[in-house]
Amino acid sequence: MGKPTSRIALSAAVVLLAGTLTACRGGDTTTDASGLKTDVGVTSEPCPEAVDKNKGCIYLGIISDLTEGPFRALAVPITDAQKAFWKRVNTAGGIGDYEVDVTRYVRDNKYNPQTHNQVYQEIKPNVLALAQSLGSPTTGAILGDMKASNVIAAPAAWTSGYAFEDVIVESGANYCVESMNALDYAREAYSPKSVMAVHLAGDYGDDAAAGVKLAAQALGMTFTDVKTDSGADKQAGAIQAILAGKPDLVVLTMGPADAATIVGQAAARGFAGRFIGTSPTWNPALLQSPAAPALLAKYEQTAPWNTWTTDTPGHKALREALPGVTPNDGYTSGWVWSYPLKAALAKAVADGDLTRAGLVKAVKSLTNVDYEGMLPSGAGNYAAGPNDGAVRVTAIYKPDKASPTGVSQVRDLFTGPTAKAYTLDGPCYEKL
Amino acid sequence: MRGRPLLRTSYAQDLALLDTPAKRWWTAALLVLACALPFLLADDLLQLLAVCCVAAIGAIGLGLVTGYAGQVSLGHAFFLGIGAYTAAALSGDPDGRVIGLGVTDIALWLPAAGLVAALAGVLVAPLATRLRGLYLAIVTLGLVFIGQHVFNEWSALTGGAGVGRPAATLEFLGRPLAVTDAFATRDQKLFWLMLALLIVFAVAARNLARSRIGRAFTAIRDRDIAAGVIGVNLPRYKTLAFAVSSFYAGCAGALLYTVTGFFDPGSFSLLLSVQYIAMVLIGGAGTISGAIAGAFFITLLPRLTRELQAWVPFVSTQPNEVPNVFQVETILYGVLIIVFLIFEPRGLFGLWVRARTYWKAWPFSY
Repeated sequence: MGKPTSRIALSAAVVLLAGTLTACRGGDTTTDASGLKTDVGVTSEPCPEAVDKNKGCIYLGIISDLTEGPFRALAVPITDAQKAFWKRVNTAGGIGDYEVDVTRYVRDNKYNPQTHNQVYQEIKPNVLALAQSLGSPTTGAILGDMKASNVIAAPAAWTSGYAFEDVIVESGANYCVESMNALDYAREAYSPKSVMAVHLAGDYGDDAAAGVKLAAQALGMTFTDVKTDSGADKQAGAIQAILAGKPDLVVLTMGPADAATIVGQAAARGFAGRFIGTSPTWNPALLQSPAAPALLAKYEQTAPWNTWTTDTPGHKALREALPGVTPNDGYTSGWVWSYPLKAALAKAVADGDLTRAGLVKAVKSLTNVDYEGMLPSGAGNYAAGPNDGAVRVTAIYKPDKASPTGVSQVRDLFTGPTAKAYTLDGPCYEKL
Repeated sequence: MRGRPLLRTSYAQDLALLDTPAKRWWTAALLVLACALPFLLADDLLQLLAVCCVAAIGAIGLGLVTGYAGQVSLGHAFFLGIGAYTAAALSGDPDGRVIGLGVTDIALWLPAAGLVAALAGVLVAPLATRLRGLYLAIVTLGLVFIGQHVFNEWSALTGGAGVGRPAATLEFLGRPLAVTDAFATRDQKLFWLMLALLIVFAVAARNLARSRIGRAFTAIRDRDIAAGVIGVNLPRYKTLAFAVSSFYAGCAGALLYTVTGFFDPGSFSLLLSVQYIAMVLIGGAGTISGAIAGAFFITLLPRLTRELQAWVPFVSTQPNEVPNVFQVETILYGVLIIVFLIFEPRGLFGLWVRARTYWKAWPFSY
């Protein structure tokens, strides 16, 4: 057959011809009027919802758990708070000659790493950085690409591994340290002899469980590790393990609905020990669930920063920016997480390099972030390295029907002796 | 036979790959257009089309076993999963958190993925030689559930449910195949690569279908007892159909996630099998071009519904509002399968045949 050969030759010729004509696509560095270098995700046109039409626009993406994942009850407030945060930044004059848009590239990850990666690839060509990347395993799915493409992200997660990543601007104590503080607190409060970590697989659950393990070793408690899956119908195994093991303390690291199932059913079947949940485990709506009496009696929660009603300039600004909402600490978290990215953007503009590479450089040189009092001063020192830069404060809360966020403070931000003594020399989850 | 191109004087002519001049021209035009697409379309669309090409490889595989050999298989997701994990494990980072052997060359992991999946297909095939129709469909459905459980629990290989692992690396002879450089962007290269692979797999499938083996497949589909009577070795050909189909599925699975680079064990659910069935049914069962058309159509459907939103403003693009494009998309899957099965069982391919015959007889078409 002669035809196919000529056809291949023809198409090859077309390809070669077209190849020589290939135009450059995207990713070019340009310099604006004031001498600021920019590349991806920064335009001289104003933002779609610009306050000042004369300013350019920095596009930031948000990838969150907005519809059907286990953290949707937290993720929606987190996202709303971040929209409010950046609106406040824009109203106050923006970042240099630019305003920040976080509304145009909002995507749902369904708390699935594959979906997360997919939507990340979708919005990557249009955004400078990510204002939110929710979840540890999900963020883990894009971390390699972020490092290769210099995409900075503010995570909505607290894995200790982030301290070792230049492209992540994390805030607050990581799960590992938080769990250590939880055990330090528990020892003072009711000195448990045995502790069990019940957690989801992946960086989120493993990191907290590793913290529990390390602290249990340091404090001389016995430690058991139980992995569970996300979904209220999949907790039977974990409940069984708790009832069989009868630990004095169970540390929960999972979604709120899963936690309520475990606490409610374990208590109903006669479990006498106590529970401490890491921060994403709590949602005020649980007080309306059938597990509410058990939660009120046996559950406490650790948190990397103080709740909605706290009196600091940052908390006050948060409450003013979101009038009329039902208080939820998802808002508080979304707000706190945005500060370091704001500081990094301001630093990059001051350095005259708002390219992706420039932003990474700006993050690496940050020695201090102004959290407006929401975290102790000295927090946000990314230049100091993982161990010295790590924030180690945790607060303890307990469910409280009278409080607007459903929790009231048991203990203000503190650093326990175990967390203080611990050297963060690698991601904790590797030590589980 | 100049001037009378449709007159056949030998079996070779009757069985030719492109037996009419019109087909030759159409194929040439399509190929030229396909090769030139990367210069005409934006990167995000190219990436989607690259996924379409890979899905088409998988759909051709299902088309061979279901469309040609008539063995209904709901287990395609299982074979896709086996391929994906074989490739990912072979090319994975040996120092990573999941199993990885560091064999990053596509020339090694792609055939390996196909072969491991084919082996699984051969192991499953004895079921097909004993069961028919609905029973076979239900048994293959069981495969999907077994696969799901294993993939979810074997976290050393898959990363575990809700964690996932990186997909295979696109590298050939030590050089990365899909990176942006001065000549072309990553997505342009990805599309060309997947298109080239699709052409290779499609031509191979077409050749298989018009060979002795392909005729044995169709004989089994049309009436397996009759096929047995005329001397078709039923167990052998059913096993072969499953092996080839699984090989295609394995290769497609291996390639599918290299485009985005990360995958989760939750992907290999019944939904994925149903999507592939939809590709074959909507495209046109028992044809290679139909499977390709169906794969492109189903893979582009989410994007199409999102574009559709511009004309149907009451449908929201926000996932937390009702009705939204994601719901419309899910409903469309079902509606399309029903509509096609009732009004055009030959699928998109049938529509094409109708258009062709209409214009062939024009202006005297009725």
